[in-house]
Amino acid sequence: MKPWVAAILYAVLGAITFVVCFPLLWAISTSLKPKDEIFRWPPTIWPENITFDAYRELLFGGSVASAPGAGVPPSAYFLTWFGNSIIVSIGSTVISITVATLAAYSLTRFRFWGQRAVPYIAILGYMVPSVIFVFPMFLTMVSLELTDTLFSLILGYVCITLPFCLWLMWAFFRGVPIEIEEAAMVDGATRLQVFRQIVLPVALPGIIAASIFSLIVSWNDYLFGRVFMNSMENLPLTVGVMHFFDGTHVDWALMMASSVLMTLPMAILFGFMQRHLVAGFGAGAVKG
Amino acid sequence: MKFRLSDRQVGVLFMLPLILAVGIFLVWPIAEAVRLSFVRYNPLRPDDQPFVGLDNYVFVLEDPLFWESFWQAIVWTGWSTVLQAVIGVGLALLLHQPLKGMNAFRGLLLFPYIVPTVVIALNWRWLFNSEIGIVNHLLLSVGVIDDKIAWLSTPSMAMASAIMLNVWKYTPFVVIVVLARLQTIPTELYDAARVDGAGVLRRFRDITLPQLAEVLAVVIVFRTIWTFNKFEEIYLLTRGGPGTSTYNLALYAFDQSIANLRMGVGAAAGVIMLVLLLAGSMLYIRVSGFGREDKAA
Repeated sequence: MKPWVAAILYAVLGAITFVVCFPLLWAISTSLKPKDEIFRWPPTIWPENITFDAYRELLFGGSVASAPGAGVPPSAYFLTWFGNSIIVSIGSTVISITVATLAAYSLTRFRFWGQRAVPYIAILGYMVPSVIFVFPMFLTMVSLELTDTLFSLILGYVCITLPFCLWLMWAFFRGVPIEIEEAAMVDGATRLQVFRQIVLPVALPGIIAASIFSLIVSWNDYLFGRVFMNSMENLPLTVGVMHFFDGTHVDWALMMASSVLMTLPMAILFGFMQRHLVAGFGAGAVKG
Repeated sequence: MKFRLSDRQVGVLFMLPLILAVGIFLVWPIAEAVRLSFVRYNPLRPDDQPFVGLDNYVFVLEDPLFWESFWQAIVWTGWSTVLQAVIGVGLALLLHQPLKGMNAFRGLLLFPYIVPTVVIALNWRWLFNSEIGIVNHLLLSVGVIDDKIAWLSTPSMAMASAIMLNVWKYTPFVVIVVLARLQTIPTELYDAARVDGAGVLRRFRDITLPQLAEVLAVVIVFRTIWTFNKFEEIYLLTRGGPGTSTYNLALYAFDQSIANLRMGVGAAAGVIMLVLLLAGSMLYIRVSGFGREDKAA
């Protein structure tokens, strides 16, 4: 490639990358501004006086600027919501991955009646939007008296994570050769020993990829939390931060600081998963 | 194939959780949604669920808001999908160039896909704030507009903002899929074309595009189905407003179920969405050759 072509390509890529990243850069900039600077027109591109007040309020219990007479400000719940989101994301991921891994192994190593229906079932579950699942699941939770519990949210998220976990693990196991397993079994190993000692280690990259996707989908969901949960202390992060809009004026620094903190765990996971991401998409794409 | 047929108990045992889970998390909710669509159900009076036949469907199909939502969903889906496909292919081609440091660009450009919708919606409301938003400031200062635009409180601009949000978040999906496919196109094809004197545009039209056709068709069908049914992107940005100008069917179903306490009507709208989706899925199966062993992944 000629140097000037490369230079143009870099310039174009740089410009596009800047536009794509701008909303998040702007969120970081806003989150560091003191209140008077946020409402200034024209806006300052980078804060003149950097302050970490918004982060302090979120992370250390709303002691910085609790609204007078309003009881506990929503920001005081931030860490609780954060914890809730971690619990439900991991909970639903563990269930979905376990079920999907066992089934995918079984599907690729044994023959069953009705086996051909499985990919169709997976694709159906994969395409049905949450808004169709959420109310029947909610009414079921009501009759089981499980609403407003983190457990109900874990079960709700299995609806949206299981189909693509199954899909990914199934595609993955089809690519794992069975000769090693056969050899081990000829040498007298049982099926369960083979599964634990040979199959699981080989499947680990697939399990990691599917887990990351599942964590992202559960972490990012809003609808299930919005419908299933009531109490402030039980909300997942996504539903909780929308309560910051409840007051009469909107604290944009607080909003943007919570945006940044909410994206951080996913950004860290993303750092690890870039490699896996492409593999996962190649194996049949993920929920979107 | 003696191996494949041995120790079936383990195989069956491994399948049991899935069979159970499909029953609980897929079949049951869908069956329940279908049942709900035939009863009157006010969540405040859960014990009173009279069977009303097709009343809910009649209600939905006679509701002007349903049709408004339907047409708006088509506008929303059409623009989103076309923009995602065009920008996505362009970006994928750009990211496919053999340049140093390309992995960093790839990482940054795929990033929006993993950002929570709530975060994007909050950021969008801030960026497109009519009084002190940066977008208005930038447009004013380069002279594209003379007055501040009320992005989220004028119907057409609210729809445009929502579409931009959707394109921002989901174009990476197209990029990743197309990029993966680009990497499998044999370079000999390009070398041969170059020897024959084909320019950049010809090579794109005669080699790249036909090679991408299949994967693009699949991506477009996928994105169309998902975008059509999106809820959070619109709800969190505009709540369907101003007025009802950004409603789609998902918001309509949600609104009937939650705000109007008509779970049956909401379920009927959901079942209609499901039927449309199944039609779309048939198209997907046709387009992708899905289910054939060699193509299934």
